[in-house]
Amino acid sequence: MDFYLGLAQIFGVHTLLGLSAYVVLLTGQVSMAQAGFYAIGAYTAGAMTAMFGLHILPAIVIAGLVSAAIACIVGFPALRVKGLMLVVATLAFGEMVRLFFFNLTWQVERNGDRVGPNGAEGFRSIRYFPENGWEVWHVTVFIWFVVVVVMGALWWMDRTRAGAVLRAVGHDETAAQSIGLNLTAVKVGAMTAGGFIAGLGGGIYAHTVTHIEHGVFGVLLATFAIAYPILGGLGSVFGTLIAVLFIQGFLIEGLRFMGEWRSLLFGALIVLAMNLRPHGLLGEHAPRLKNLFGAGPARPSDPLSTKEAK
Amino acid sequence: MKLKALVAAGLVGASSLALATAAAAQDKTIRIVGFGASSGVVGIFGQNSTAAMSAAFEKINAEGGVTLADGSQARIVTEYYDDRCNAEEGISVLRRIASTDALVAIGPTCSNVAEPLFGIMQARVDDESDTGLQFPVFTDVAIKGGLAGISDWVFRNTPSEAAMYDELFGWLRETHPDATTIFGGVEEDFAHSRASWYDVMKTAADKHGFELVGEAQWLLSDTNFSNQVRGMRRAEPDIVAISAHPFTTCGVLREMARQRVEPEVLVGLTSSSSLETLSGCATEAEGLTIPTSFAPVNDEARAAAEAVVAEGGQMDLHSASAWENAMILKDVIEQVGVEGTAESLEEDRRKIRDGLAAMESAPGLLGTNQRMPDGEAVKPYVFVHARDGGWEVLHNPGS
Repeated sequence: MDFYLGLAQIFGVHTLLGLSAYVVLLTGQVSMAQAGFYAIGAYTAGAMTAMFGLHILPAIVIAGLVSAAIACIVGFPALRVKGLMLVVATLAFGEMVRLFFFNLTWQVERNGDRVGPNGAEGFRSIRYFPENGWEVWHVTVFIWFVVVVVMGALWWMDRTRAGAVLRAVGHDETAAQSIGLNLTAVKVGAMTAGGFIAGLGGGIYAHTVTHIEHGVFGVLLATFAIAYPILGGLGSVFGTLIAVLFIQGFLIEGLRFMGEWRSLLFGALIVLAMNLRPHGLLGEHAPRLKNLFGAGPARPSDPLSTKEAK
Repeated sequence: MKLKALVAAGLVGASSLALATAAAAQDKTIRIVGFGASSGVVGIFGQNSTAAMSAAFEKINAEGGVTLADGSQARIVTEYYDDRCNAEEGISVLRRIASTDALVAIGPTCSNVAEPLFGIMQARVDDESDTGLQFPVFTDVAIKGGLAGISDWVFRNTPSEAAMYDELFGWLRETHPDATTIFGGVEEDFAHSRASWYDVMKTAADKHGFELVGEAQWLLSDTNFSNQVRGMRRAEPDIVAISAHPFTTCGVLREMARQRVEPEVLVGLTSSSSLETLSGCATEAEGLTIPTSFAPVNDEARAAAEAVVAEGGQMDLHSASAWENAMILKDVIEQVGVEGTAESLEEDRRKIRDGLAAMESAPGLLGTNQRMPDGEAVKPYVFVHARDGGWEVLHNPGS
């Protein structure tokens, strides 16, 4: 049972990572900086519990806030560029963060041991969960509580003016600007929210693996972060969740028995999925429960489609 | 007539029962599972471990299997899980193994997986306030120093690099009295190679009076080493120590040949004393000196190496540990009286842990391995150097 609960933990933290990129992608920006924010969250939350003895909840909230603050600062200059230039700029930021932790040595004495980041050796003994009597299922419930809160908040936001504003900027910046939207504020806002979610995810991740090091937070993780919402579809938060289940559950865990072939099949199946569902597994528009179960009035398949005037 | 029929029926019944019992005994199995990186850049280490474990268990099974507490024999069955040298996957794999009827796991390959993996395990045995995973792990490859101390459920059969390089640099001081300076090259982003240079080789070289005249760093995925080797050439060291895995070791050695950097002594990382280094750059590696806990220097080691080759792998210091772990576990299973039933699984795992913890020495391919109280091992070793496309024993400190 612990194996499945452990898997659920991986799904949870990766969903948070994917959602952090999802918010930014809604504004039409491709950010490769999410792994950097995730790393900041991981090291911050790890320091809060392992070095300063804080409870996990304030630790991950602080981690989220620190990541959000840095995302906000990074957002101003980075989001003034677009497209590939933004990808390069955010990728550079992610590498900068990784190399910062690669060189960071800051340890304190705790219970007779030196605890804290130790450069390339990483940050060991982030053992809040086992040391405080948390069973595997407690941790899983905790992670999914955070995931549900974040997903719920994003789902709700998507149905408010804030969501419409994000999507408007994502669909057509010029049109959005012409109706008076402040593009920089919207994009930096999305980046900040994404940073907060990545910080939360990173903070939890650090505690599930107990040891973190710079190498984990590289380009591959940044690619996974944007792959989840793109593969799942930007129609709703559930697309990211579905993509995490597909990649982490099916491609990584489900195909483990295939050994060497798994890595090859991994890429091929993602390409296949993107070809069969070019707008993501759940598409660009969220499926509505009413429609799924046949209740409610029939809706046009594309709410943005126009009708010819009679 | 009736009596005869009854006796005959009784005999048939008894024979059937005896046959069924024998069949059941033969069907008894003990599962020991391996895990580590069998794909990706360092996948060759996991592949060699798989071959070594399979060969060792085949040998054990061919000799009758293991004897359980009730005196019956059981076959050892095994399989290998790939964690791709990824910490999250390593943890998931171990949880998966622990959820099966496996008694003990052998692995992982990478130190950067071992460190978080050992962290999720119960740190001190019988500490009820610690809810970490309670499952015995006997590591074969992940060699970065001091990791077994993280948890009482972890044991390693990896050689002590500190002892090996201390001896090596002491021996170099005696055999190369004119050599006074050393230059260190390190694969900076790999836990093992980095720790081996900064914590082990550098310290040992300094202890034996070698002056450090420069250091160069590179990454596991680097392919161009011209700047690093240029620094090496400028420093004109007597000794060049390369703390890197075979892939970048070969890259650096080729660049050294191109820039005509020819130190008096070349020292390599333990993990590079493998076939991969020779198949990648045998000519450039000529003379590369490495301490290793495996070389085919006796009949047992040669036979083991042949058995591993027959399974499609290669025997080196890492896969030799996997072989030894299999043999040590057979002894432990028999010594502690493993029952091997579904009901006794938790108890059997604990017995294995306690059995490994109680060991003070264990037989190895090069001699007796000393078992340390913190779960680490001190193994016999030799110094080998690359010569004519093979590894040749240069010096045996134990002889």
